[in-house]
Amino acid sequence: MKVSVTIKKVLFTTLLSIFSLSTLHAAELKKVESELITPALKLETLDGKSLDLKDEMGKVVLVQFWATYCTPCRVEMPSMNKLIKKLEADKVPFKIIAVNMGETKAEVEKFVDVVKPEFTILMDSKGENVQAWNVFAAPSNFIIDTKGKIRYTLYGGVEWDSDEITKVIKDLAKEKS
Amino acid sequence: MSQPSQHIISRLIILSLSLLFFNSNVMASDEIKTFETSDSTEIDVRIFSAKGDKLLIGFACDQGASKAEEKTSQALAKDGVEVWMPDMLSAYMLPKVRSSLKDIPTNGLIKIIKEAQKTNKKVYLVASGPDTELILRVAQNWEDLHKGKTLGGAILMFPRLNKTKPEPGQPPNYQDVVGKTKLPLMVLEGERTPNRWGIQHLTQSLKQGGSTVYAKLIPDVRGYFFKRNDPNVPEDLVTSQMSGLIKASLFFLGKAHQ
Repeated sequence: MKVSVTIKKVLFTTLLSIFSLSTLHAAELKKVESELITPALKLETLDGKSLDLKDEMGKVVLVQFWATYCTPCRVEMPSMNKLIKKLEADKVPFKIIAVNMGETKAEVEKFVDVVKPEFTILMDSKGENVQAWNVFAAPSNFIIDTKGKIRYTLYGGVEWDSDEITKVIKDLAKEKS
Repeated sequence: MSQPSQHIISRLIILSLSLLFFNSNVMASDEIKTFETSDSTEIDVRIFSAKGDKLLIGFACDQGASKAEEKTSQALAKDGVEVWMPDMLSAYMLPKVRSSLKDIPTNGLIKIIKEAQKTNKKVYLVASGPDTELILRVAQNWEDLHKGKTLGGAILMFPRLNKTKPEPGQPPNYQDVVGKTKLPLMVLEGERTPNRWGIQHLTQSLKQGGSTVYAKLIPDVRGYFFKRNDPNVPEDLVTSQMSGLIKASLFFLGKAHQ
């Protein structure tokens, strides 16, 4: 009798597990409704040059916080390369700045050799900017307009060269600086 | 065969059999006990007995069926920390999915804690990932029922306590139970996970209930490293030394009561 109850329990649990398998939801751009102040961002690039976000005014900028151990970051980077090419062809002023979250130069270089991102990588070795930008997960993305204001955020992996995202960036670039 | 040879062979057989039984005794040092709650729910608890004064209840929800949890429990028991692993999901016929957590009633776990206290050992709790919400909920309910008293403490391994999806630029929105208990807490987080950046914020939020909260980053490991199919060398090493990590955590939690 007890065996029969146990078998029933196991079957019930297995069936429920199968039916409860959740589907993956695609990440979406979220329009920033309330005022979100753009924190300062001045760091060294992977190849040792200094970059200040405020010098990029006049362009639409995608600031992404990422890490080599973040699987979605790795998966979406080729689509970020494609987005750059797509917008370059249409002469849209656009830049991607990918801020690495506290890893070493050696770790990032090893990753770059394989994934080959074609955009600027900044090294936030102490994680100070991660804190200042209120980033608690990766990838965390901010789309900044030509005036330096955060207009959209996005958490999670996404196909960056989708028509929807390309249109959002083009529309932001058309706004008067 | 001569009499002395026969005697030696008999002694060897007895010695081999004794060793065999001794070994199987060591391997099977756990037992299953079933406790019944007031609503007649039967909860099976896998118990790794030990002679020390500390008892750790691990809410793996499946009697510690994972290999790492079993080995860790055996190692802890060998070092004097008794481990109880209640099978909450089977008790309430729930599937092994995250959403089941909210359906586990706390009264069953409170019953397990009461039973554990009958051993006169100091009771600690441990859980990982989203299961940490459950032990905070249980601790809160237990404190409501036993005013002015707290358990030994709880170890939150790689706590995932967000109520909603993270929003870039915004502080995390935690589960309602965060910051509602006085239980001393030890938060363990992997260094190679984005969640490490939220440790400070989470620690401050957990302290709001009056808890003493310790937080430690484990170098070179990712979140859930002990459940991964692709562990790297540091992750394998830390998994094999998990009992040491837990014992160190219990030491810190003990200091919170001094």
